[in-house]
Amino acid sequence: MTTNSTMRDEFAKHADYLNSLNEKREKVVKASRDVTMNSKKVIFQVHRISKYNKDEVLLKAENDLVAVTNQFMSKLVKELQGTDFWKLRRAYTPGVQEYIEAATFCRFCKTGTLLNLSEINSSLLALSDKSIEPLQINVLDYLLGVADVTGELMRLAIGRISDGEIEYAQKICQFVRDLYRELIVIVPLMDDNAEMKKKMEVMLQSAIKIENACFSVHVRGSEYTPLLGTDNPDFSFFGVSDFE
Amino acid sequence: MEKQFEEFKLQLEESGGVREKIRSVVTEIEASNRMLSSCLLSVHQSLPLSGVLEKANGHIETVKGLYVQLAEILKDCPGEFYRYHGDWRSETQTVVSLIAFLHWLETGALLMHAEAEKKLGLGSSDFGLDIEDYLTGLCFMSNEFPRYVVNRVTAGDYDCPRKVLTFLTDLHTAFRMLNLRNDFLRKKFDGMKYDLRRVEEVYYDVKIRGLASDGSAQGQANATGDQLTLP
Repeated sequence: MTTNSTMRDEFAKHADYLNSLNEKREKVVKASRDVTMNSKKVIFQVHRISKYNKDEVLLKAENDLVAVTNQFMSKLVKELQGTDFWKLRRAYTPGVQEYIEAATFCRFCKTGTLLNLSEINSSLLALSDKSIEPLQINVLDYLLGVADVTGELMRLAIGRISDGEIEYAQKICQFVRDLYRELIVIVPLMDDNAEMKKKMEVMLQSAIKIENACFSVHVRGSEYTPLLGTDNPDFSFFGVSDFE
Repeated sequence: MEKQFEEFKLQLEESGGVREKIRSVVTEIEASNRMLSSCLLSVHQSLPLSGVLEKANGHIETVKGLYVQLAEILKDCPGEFYRYHGDWRSETQTVVSLIAFLHWLETGALLMHAEAEKKLGLGSSDFGLDIEDYLTGLCFMSNEFPRYVVNRVTAGDYDCPRKVLTFLTDLHTAFRMLNLRNDFLRKKFDGMKYDLRRVEEVYYDVKIRGLASDGSAQGQANATGDQLTLP
């Protein structure tokens, strides 16, 4: 049967294509999961910060982040080399977002500024083979990651307040508000912004939580001072019982 | 911070502009698809096939022109085919199903991927026909056959069910070579067996009443071309 065999030849090609695409996707998903897991560890490390051990904790976090970049991001970059970044975006976006979150979180704690996308991308260039077009994180994934960092900043701010570092918390508060103001303009322009819209709501909630905490300290400043430095700070005192 | 976000805003406005251009072309593709679809629907009413095919091919030319326009727009954003792909995906699946059905009416054979690209004027640049879209289109095409055989038999063409059954069985067998993920395509492929069963039933009905011509060997021999000579 001629029709049958030409059909079979045709579909054999498509089967090969689908097999290799799925295999690639699987590998990328795995690499992305490794990036997520290890980026989370960096974030936890940053949260171990306290009034007295700042430099030490941040140094370790930064070293951990470098390790994530060299070990796990580089693997993702290698898996993605020579493939269509947009085609497989859904496979790697969770890892990349988490990585952005960890990197920007570290940078903020270190310098109080926002880590730029161009900086991250140029650090990725070093990881890849020069001959093939290297992975460059796109604006969308960057913004999604940055939106997530505000949740971590909220936790950090609450922790700092309970540690008595009111000014630090206020700095965080200002930063989150700035971010929110910038993002609100950009979100409607983003490609597929349903996810981002949800994140913006969460972001606003985070900003409000920080503001409320700062407010409590401001208003009841004199009352809470004696509590400082105790091992079990009572967060509900600051009107932020919902801690997630 | 501000400077970076200013840049993002410009970049995103640009890609938003591209998307708008794409969408306006896709709307036209959708409209042409509907014309093509309406034209092909007349095969169920046993209108003379040659007239239908001629008209349908005219509509395909229109669609082709629109895809060339799309490819032109995408030329300005190299490497971003799949960024915007979702915008024309479902229209493309529809058009593949229509031109594949038309192709079967004309030749009795399956429209291959390369042929489909050629019909739509694609494949020369970065803008190609996504394999999964092509395959999904074929599944949609299969949905058309049960109705087609029923109406052909009613119109007195008793040989049609056998030809369709052979074709769909082959197509179904070919699809089973693919390792599909648990996605849209898989779901559509799973639906194909119902089309196959329906066509089998029609064939059975015709056969046990002695209406089908008993020529499986002859049937294969003239698999091409005999569609055009139907009464």
